[in-house]
Amino acid sequence: MIYFDNAATTYPKPESVKKAVMSAVANYGSSGRGGHPIASRTSAAVYSARERIADFFGAEPENVVFTYNCTHALNLAIQGIMCKGGHLIISSLEHNSAARPAVRMAESGKIRLSAAQVYNDVNRTVESFRKHIKKDTKAIVCTIASNVTGQILPYREIAELCRKHGIVLIADGAQACGIIDVKLTDGINILCTAGHKGLYGITGTGLLISDGKYDIPPIIQGGTGSSSQSLSQPVLLPESLESGTVGTAGIMSMKAGVEFIEKLGIKRIFSHEERLCRILINNLERDRRIKIYRNKNSEYVPIVSFNIGNIPSERVAAELAENGFCLRAGLHCAALAHAQLGTDTGTIRFAPSVFSKEDDVISLASAVHRQCKNL
Amino acid sequence: MIKYIAEMPSYTYAQKAVKVLNARGYSCEMIRREEGCGYNIRIYSRDKSVFEILEKYRIPYSLKGNGGVT
Repeated sequence: MIYFDNAATTYPKPESVKKAVMSAVANYGSSGRGGHPIASRTSAAVYSARERIADFFGAEPENVVFTYNCTHALNLAIQGIMCKGGHLIISSLEHNSAARPAVRMAESGKIRLSAAQVYNDVNRTVESFRKHIKKDTKAIVCTIASNVTGQILPYREIAELCRKHGIVLIADGAQACGIIDVKLTDGINILCTAGHKGLYGITGTGLLISDGKYDIPPIIQGGTGSSSQSLSQPVLLPESLESGTVGTAGIMSMKAGVEFIEKLGIKRIFSHEERLCRILINNLERDRRIKIYRNKNSEYVPIVSFNIGNIPSERVAAELAENGFCLRAGLHCAALAHAQLGTDTGTIRFAPSVFSKEDDVISLASAVHRQCKNL
Repeated sequence: MIKYIAEMPSYTYAQKAVKVLNARGYSCEMIRREEGCGYNIRIYSRDKSVFEILEKYRIPYSLKGNGGVT
């Protein structure tokens, strides 16, 4: 099988990641609990991962919170920041991981919610966010890159808008981290991301990284290995948001993934993957029945969404799977983005990784053209 | 030889404090707190500027008893 579903989860994983997981399972117990040798070395290892990941994103180690995926991180951030109510703005391209908790809070009357339209023009997009700002706007939730088309949003400009208005920027970095050089110094207050996508960690991993400027009241309480005599949840990060035993093997996989990216170079990874996207686009564009969802005025992370005529995307993906290609079709858990694109039955999404090969992309293009001939 | 014991709010801050102080030439170590869950740091120095360093790095701590002096 040839795997092009790396926007969902990268596969395969680097050898160093596999080794880190095996080593963690063999050597580590609980982190931050107890003082015996195995607890101590586990806690030290988890802290070293915190430091490494903090450095990668320009954060402080204590502001790196380990979560179980990006959805978990976004829920902690959105429900935490908005717990006392107020107005929230999301973009029109948000994944359900951000849209659903926001809508849930709005439907229960806890917050007021607006969605800012994203355009293929930076100024129009920023203006669209600005127009929605009200006196009680507390936060903007903005994906850095759409998981459907890969379109990169003007998150630095939106961050500047947030800074001017004293609004918290919660950024969804699931499709950007490990692909483009996202840093908190871009103006992001809370960065949420997955560990199992561009960071090459295993599934069941995610991150919430704060700049430390805003309190994030926890929505989950429990054991943290600290202040145990108190029945109140600790208030300091990261433990305040890390109730329960953390996933040490997953954390070590993220650390190894980040080291893998740093060794190769993030620009090199982006360049390789985007070149493969360009090869596919050039090849598919030869058939006018194939619609590719990219616009020359926007920038993209290495994702290509397309459709063949009016054939349902799931049918195309199923046939590609029969021919040995793994691509994700449908709505990609992003109903808002598909509504904006006008793709009610979804799209087929091509998402390469650092391990993807040019020859395989050309073979995929040939398989797509064969489907076109059967139209 | 131990001069100060500082109570730390979490393992993360205890580890950060040890690293920050060690990097500046102060000998210190993390120990498990005897009363309840938690971590302290032992600082082998009389120099009160260690606390200025902790504050500069926004590392919360508390000193018990005689200003944490042992």
